[in-house]
Parts: sequence; C-alpha cells; structure tokens
Amino acid sequence: MSRFIFATAQYASGDWESAPVLPENLIDSVARYTSIDVAPAGVHVPLSSEAVFNFPFLWLTGHLPVRFTEAEARNLQRYVTRGGMIVIDDHNHDVTGVFHNTATEEIARLFGPMTRLSKDHALYRCFFVFDDGPPTTHHELNGWGDDLVHPYLDAVLVNGRIGLVYSSKDYSSEWNFHPENKRTMQEDPTRFGVNLIVYALSY
Amino acid sequence: MHSPTDRARRWLETAFRLLALAALLSAIGLALRGRAADRAESSDSNGLPAALRRWSTVTTPIEASVAFLATPTGRTRDWLTALAGAGSRISWSGSELVASALSIEPRADPAGGADLVATAPLGASIVFIDAIGTLDSARVSGSPVRLGLDRPRSTIEARVGAVTARAGLTDSLSVDRLLVIGRAGWELKFTMAALEERGWQVDAVVQLSPASRIGQGITEPIDTARYAAVVTIDSSAGRYAARIARYVHSGGGLVAWPEALLLKPLARLAPGQSGAPIRSDDLPPPDSLPRTALTLLPITALRQDAVILERRGQLVAVAARRIGAGRVLQTGYTNAWRWRMAGGAQSVDRHRAWISALVSRVAYSHDHPLAVPPADAAPLATLVAALGRSTPPAAPMPGADPWALLPWLFSLTVVMLLLEWLSRRLRGAR
Repeated sequence: MSRFIFATAQYASGDWESAPVLPENLIDSVARYTSIDVAPAGVHVPLSSEAVFNFPFLWLTGHLPVRFTEAEARNLQRYVTRGGMIVIDDHNHDVTGVFHNTATEEIARLFGPMTRLSKDHALYRCFFVFDDGPPTTHHELNGWGDDLVHPYLDAVLVNGRIGLVYSSKDYSSEWNFHPENKRTMQEDPTRFGVNLIVYALSY
Repeated sequence: MHSPTDRARRWLETAFRLLALAALLSAIGLALRGRAADRAESSDSNGLPAALRRWSTVTTPIEASVAFLATPTGRTRDWLTALAGAGSRISWSGSELVASALSIEPRADPAGGADLVATAPLGASIVFIDAIGTLDSARVSGSPVRLGLDRPRSTIEARVGAVTARAGLTDSLSVDRLLVIGRAGWELKFTMAALEERGWQVDAVVQLSPASRIGQGITEPIDTARYAAVVTIDSSAGRYAARIARYVHSGGGLVAWPEALLLKPLARLAPGQSGAPIRSDDLPPPDSLPRTALTLLPITALRQDAVILERRGQLVAVAARRIGAGRVLQTGYTNAWRWRMAGGAQSVDRHRAWISALVSRVAYSHDHPLAVPPADAAPLATLVAALGRSTPPAAPMPGADPWALLPWLFSLTVVMLLLEWLSRRLRGAR
C-alpha cells in the first residue's frame, strides 16, 4: 500500500515555502493520533510537474500574489477533478490582502464559485469533532491581518467530495511550530490538520 | 408346309409382338420410376418458403434436400423438423454456414449494461448488430470475442458471413450495497470514489487508529439481504473476517486486495496466494497498458477451481473462484489509485469501470426476468441438433424426364401391334 506523504505545492509566483515547519508538525500529529502509514518527511512538489499526481494531498500557502502558470493551472484542474485534495491557506489572514484576492480569483477562474462548508460537514468530524466548524486560530483571536474570525471554510466539490479547501484562517501561522512545543499547550491546535489529512485519505 | 415368305412373316410378327411387349413393359417401369422420382424434392434457401408450403399441402416428399445459403430462421428450421417428424427424410447442405455462438449476460452493476461473448472459427470476422445498427466488429484470434455494452437493446445479433446468431437479455439484475473495509489511504479512497461514481451505494469501515474508525452507513449484519459484495483493502478487516467468510458461504461476493489475505479466514477463501511484489516506478501509467505501471503481487499457488481473469505477461494478476453459492475475487494490484491520478486522459473512466467490473464479477444480485423475442444463440449447432449433420448436395437424376418417354413408348406399342395385325391379315390369318 502507498504511505501518506505530506506534499507542499511549489508555484512560480509566490513564497510557497513560507511555513517551513508546518509539514513536520502535521506529520507528527498524524503519526501521534492515528495509525495512518505516514512518511516521516514531507516533499516539495512543483505544481507544474507531473509529479504532483503521485501526491493526492497538497498544501499550498503564501503571502504574495498567486498567478498560476499555464502548466500549474492545467495540472491543478486535472488534480482536483481526478480526486486529489489541495488545501490553500492564506498566510496573511487578510481577506483584503493580495494572496486572498489573487488566489480566490485563480480558483474562480479554474473551478467557478466555491461552496461554503457547513459546520456539520464530515471534514469537522471525521476524526476529531469540531462542532463549531473550523477551529479559531490565535491570529484571529489576537487580531492580525483583517482582524476577523472566519467561521467557515470554502471548498471546491467534485462528485460530493472536497477537491480544494480554501482557508482564510492562516493555519500556516498557527501550525508552523516545532512539534515538541505541543507538550506545553493545553490543546494541540494541529488536530484540525489531522482531520484535513484523514478526510483526504478516507472520502 | 409353310413357304419361306410365310415363315419370314411369322418371324416378323413375332418380332412386332416382342417389341410391343418390351415397349409396354418399359412404359410401366418408367411410370413406376417416375412416381418415385416425383416424391424426392430439393430446394435452396430462396425457394424454401414456397417449397415448404407445397410439401406441406400438395405433396409430401419422401426425401427433401435443402441447400442453405444462410442459416434458416427458427420458423423454417422448425417446419423442416416437423416434416421430418411426419416421415420425410430431410437432408441439408450449406458450405457457407460456419459454427458460431453468441451469449449476452447482464452485468451486476448499478449502471446496468451487459457483456457479450461470441465465438466463431479462427480468423472469422464477427459483426455485432442491434436494432439501431452496427455496434462493433472484431476478428476471432484464438479466444472468444468479448464486448461490453453499457445500454444493450433487448436482442443482439452476431453475424459471421451468412450465419446470424441472435441472443437476448433474459433478465435484468439489481444489486444491493457494498461494504468497503480498509485503513485510511489512497487505495481505499480512490476505490470508494470509483465505486460511488459508478453508482454503487457504499458503506465503509475506515480504520484510522486502533481505537478509532469511521463507519459510513450501517455495517451489521453482513449478509446477502444487505450487501452485494464486501471489498477488503487490507488486514484491517480482521474483526470482520469470520463474518465475511460466513457471508461468502451464504452466497455473497468478496473482492480482496493482497494485504487482506493476510487474514486466515479470508486466505482460506482466496483463489491463490500472493507472491513477491513487483514494484512499480513512479512513471505515469500509459493509457494503452495502464496496469503494467502498477505494483503487482502476482497470484501464485492457484487452487484447482480458480479461474484466471487477468494476466500481466505470464503472471496472474486477477483470479476468482466459487465458494459454495458465493464468489471470491483476488486482485494482485496494490496501488491502482495511481492509474486514476497519474494516468492518461481516459484513466478516470477506465479505472472506475475496472474497479466496478471487479466487484460486478462477484456481486450477489437479484434477477428480474424479461420478456424477450426468441433467440438463436448458436444457429448451426441448433440446425444440426434439429436435422442432423449436413450431407453433400444430391446429384441430379441422370437421363431425360421419364414422363416424356411414355407417349413414345405407347406409340411404339400401338404401331408394333398394328403392323403385326396387318401382317397377319395380309397373309389371311385371323
């Protein structure tokens, strides 16, 4: 069987590597909480390459404007319609910021309008249960970026399954810490990251 | 004492009488022979409908030979069989007729469809036709020709030269839900996606950790009243293995990936054992031979009753067997998900159809009989069963028409008798 490998999408226009510790942290959480066969290290995969199709889960983040090249756009469309799942997170936590504006434009161009995920969606209860939808981040609570709490995630659905998740919550900042720091926390904030990966592998 | 002239006349008169007698006997013989010849008939396909009416209403032939240019319809064949039953000796020939057969079976698939299997002599070309027109054609190359139809018409024809085999769907199938069991992973995800997109209703047990699993739908009890088949991706099916084995014995279907056969109750049901893995590289599976790019655990140590369904070169990739009323299919592929994600333009559809076909082969289904027109699945075999083997065409009767000679023979008899009478009167005898 193929083990789960956390893949970060490289794209030409932005700072795709802006959350360098996040993969390690989520891999640690998946290994800690589940029996999923997970590779101990993640990979970086150019979105424009055929290699992305070997990794049906992709993480994409950044602060800068997102403009997909022709090859990136073509691959992303093919990736999502074939059953891959990509999570795109706004590292600015700012719905007026350049990442949000350009990324959502690109998503709308490729897939049309996104669907708002209801709080009872399987994504919020497939492993850990989040009755209130996506968990709030410290940046949202402490005021950062647009100074808003975003209670929903948006998604592109393909045959009823999530193919693309768009987050304005800045999980890239929330989860970008060394895994050993979890022991000092009252509640592990990466638990929702586990849900994202479990959903991708199970639905 | 008779004069030499008298003696000559007497000789001549005797000769006239003998000639008259010979002509009379010949006429009688020809008349009898002509009567017998009148009751041996022959026809070909074109004249057969009229001949059958004549043979059944005007004169019943003692022997009838038919030269078929094409396979007769069931009605014609039955008519000839009835004539044979009424006492006529029916023989037939047909050098253009070749053995062929066609079968059509509904798929146990929520999307419906049917599978055609046709056979004919090696090298023959088979043309498949339905009520709308030509569906496809293929040349026989050693094994039967198979054709899948997503929306079959009630009757399908397979034409091989002058022979037309007809087969119809005699029933339709409905299928229940599927139960998919496995750990969270790509193979499970994409297998479930393919099945659901095909229209299967899928319940799933997804193992996430030793104490945690996702259950979609109700998974108990596992029986044929609820599930058409169980799909086991890996050894996480352990807690259900004994129940699955009972389910299969009671008529259910099981599709097992190699790792699931590490469970002894399932291994005992499997068509074979899993061999050493032949790992794939990360190259995209090509559209032409996509499964050559997948990791394969070839099926070895096949049981005697196992049926090989797919090979990769010399290796067995998919096999199946019956267990009582149930069926078990073992696949040797472990990462078919790569076919869907990384394959060519058709890979999503083909992966979906392939996965669904694996399940269809073993799924428990409910039959619903259909009213269908009469079929003729193996025309030549049916003809031989009805009328016996073919015989060479009957040779035409030598010589002229016997009835045409009778007036000449009668005239000859009369002339001879008149001459004999005249001769006797001229010499003064009575």
